[in-house]
Amino acid sequence: MCDDSTVQKRVLIVDDHQPFRAVARELLERAGYVVSGEAAGASEALAAVAADAPDAVLLDVQLPDGDGFAVAMELAASDGPAVVLISSREAADYGRRVTACGARGFIPKSKLSAAAFGALVD
Amino acid sequence: MASAAVTAAPSREWLRDPVLLLPAAVAAGLAVGWLGVHEHVAGSRVAADLALAWSLTIASIVALERPRWRRTSWLLAAAAFALLVADLEWASPHALSTFGLALQGLWAALLIQLALTFPDGRPWSRTAVFAMVAAYAVTIGGQLAADQAQEIASIAVALLVLFLVLRRLHGLRGPARRAQAPLLVAFAVTVGTGVVWLGSLLAADAGSYSVQTLVRVVALTIPVGVVAGIGWSRLRRPRTAELVVDLQRDSSSMRERLARALDDPTLDVAYRLGDGRYVDASGRPLELPHGDGRAITTVTAGGEEIAALLHDPALLDEPALVDSVRATAALVLENERLAAEVRAQLAEVRASRGRIVAAGDAERRRIERNLHDGAQQRLVTLSVALGLEASGTDPETAQLLARAQDEVEQAIAELRDLARGIHPTLLRDEGLGAAVEALARRTPLPVTVRSTLRERLPDSVELAAYFVVAEALTNVVKHASASQASVLLERGQQDFRVVIDDDGVGGAHIEPDSGLAGMRDRLEALDATLRIESAAGGGTTVCAVLPCA
Repeated sequence: MCDDSTVQKRVLIVDDHQPFRAVARELLERAGYVVSGEAAGASEALAAVAADAPDAVLLDVQLPDGDGFAVAMELAASDGPAVVLISSREAADYGRRVTACGARGFIPKSKLSAAAFGALVD
Repeated sequence: MASAAVTAAPSREWLRDPVLLLPAAVAAGLAVGWLGVHEHVAGSRVAADLALAWSLTIASIVALERPRWRRTSWLLAAAAFALLVADLEWASPHALSTFGLALQGLWAALLIQLALTFPDGRPWSRTAVFAMVAAYAVTIGGQLAADQAQEIASIAVALLVLFLVLRRLHGLRGPARRAQAPLLVAFAVTVGTGVVWLGSLLAADAGSYSVQTLVRVVALTIPVGVVAGIGWSRLRRPRTAELVVDLQRDSSSMRERLARALDDPTLDVAYRLGDGRYVDASGRPLELPHGDGRAITTVTAGGEEIAALLHDPALLDEPALVDSVRATAALVLENERLAAEVRAQLAEVRASRGRIVAAGDAERRRIERNLHDGAQQRLVTLSVALGLEASGTDPETAQLLARAQDEVEQAIAELRDLARGIHPTLLRDEGLGAAVEALARRTPLPVTVRSTLRERLPDSVELAAYFVVAEALTNVVKHASASQASVLLERGQQDFRVVIDDDGVGGAHIEPDSGLAGMRDRLEALDATLRIESAAGGGTTVCAVLPCA
């Protein structure tokens, strides 16, 4: 599940649901990723990226202060970290926005695994 | 009658009633007649003056019938006396003769004022005020000027007055034309003759006496015009019995019938609702006008106001006519008022139905959001956690956990479908085209989508159209045994059409309490229509047309 190339990858987790962040952190850490930080909203996420410069961001689409697409676009525009969008909805529920926002890919939350994440960011 | 412009004379004003002038006018006329004979003035001239003075006095009394013509009445009487006073020029004593000469043209100026302020005593326009002032100036002040200068000025004023009167005549309509035209025509003819007389003075400077007499004879048409206007209005007045038949038999609208009966094409009917508001026949709210351009007459039935007639103020000069129409209309208007009230209520119900649907949609959005943020979020976290635990445990437990995770996944999928059915996120974010295409992809048979939509439509229209497509496609899958279906989203100039076609067995119809019946209710709340064509064996076409400017 983890190889040398992923061992040092630093990941920021963005989701407003704390229990989900905890599960995601454990999932990523078990796979050998380093979780650089957690954020519960869009502005917090942008600040954390600026402060910690993670290699990848696990980004929830629906955030209390904005949406993940806008955050992904902003990060893509500044040549920032790889972004993987997650949502409890399916990609089809968001139409073209998923592919248009500059993210590496989309994983429905219930299908989140280190393998699915690694396939997109590594 | 409650009306904006009626000015009934207070009772103590009878002392100033021109009727009291009648004996005075007779006496003054007899005196002037005696003076004329004594001074050997031409008999025709004496006769013309007396005829004009007395008929002006009679017209002044007849005009009293019209409350708004009160000032007209006074001006007629004043003109009659001014005419007799002018005849003092025949008198031998120099002072009397000079006095008469000085006031020679006053009667004409008074009649000009009468015409240019006819019928309610207010000047027609600023030009009319100017013409009146000029008329007084040339007839009284002009006596001081050289004869020729006065004659030229008089011709100029007369032509201006003639122009104003003809223009006024041209603009008169309906009841105002009926009552005012005879006087104004008579006046125009008199002024025309006056211009000829003044012209003859300028040309010959002599022999004008007979033309002066002629002007007075022609001026006799003025009092005749006043009386004729009142008489003509009375003759035109239909009898109440005829009105009853006419108002009840005719199939045209009540407004048209009343407009015809009162000969006032501008007439409007405002129906009074129980809550005091006014509406037109179609139930649209109406404000009663405030201002002097329109008069309001209320119609009552059983002591209660049921309607207001908005009409030309000139009709107020014919209170008897308005009263008879009012009494007759009360019989018929009550039905019309009830119909208007029903239409107004219908409009309110329609508006409230739209609000109920909008509130329902907002509630759907809220529920979808809550499902997503609440239960769905927790189940998703649970599913990931189960997967995580399964990966670090013994095979037996891992298998149990994997089964549990499958169940949770199933619950999440069902919850997602439920949420999508309540309010699709894609519709809100990406619009109808994208949402319908996603719907088509999820439908387990080939569905082609064609769309001419280029812009977003109002939320209510998008949501209604989406649900029609969703419901129709669900029915295709469940009942049609179709091999394919198509959806057309077509934006027209004024409307938006949604057509869902399939090649199935047909025979579909809208059953009460069915999904399509619910769709139809939703569409009707938007003034939209839902139609189904579904001959047995011929496939089914569901077509919704939504108004959308």
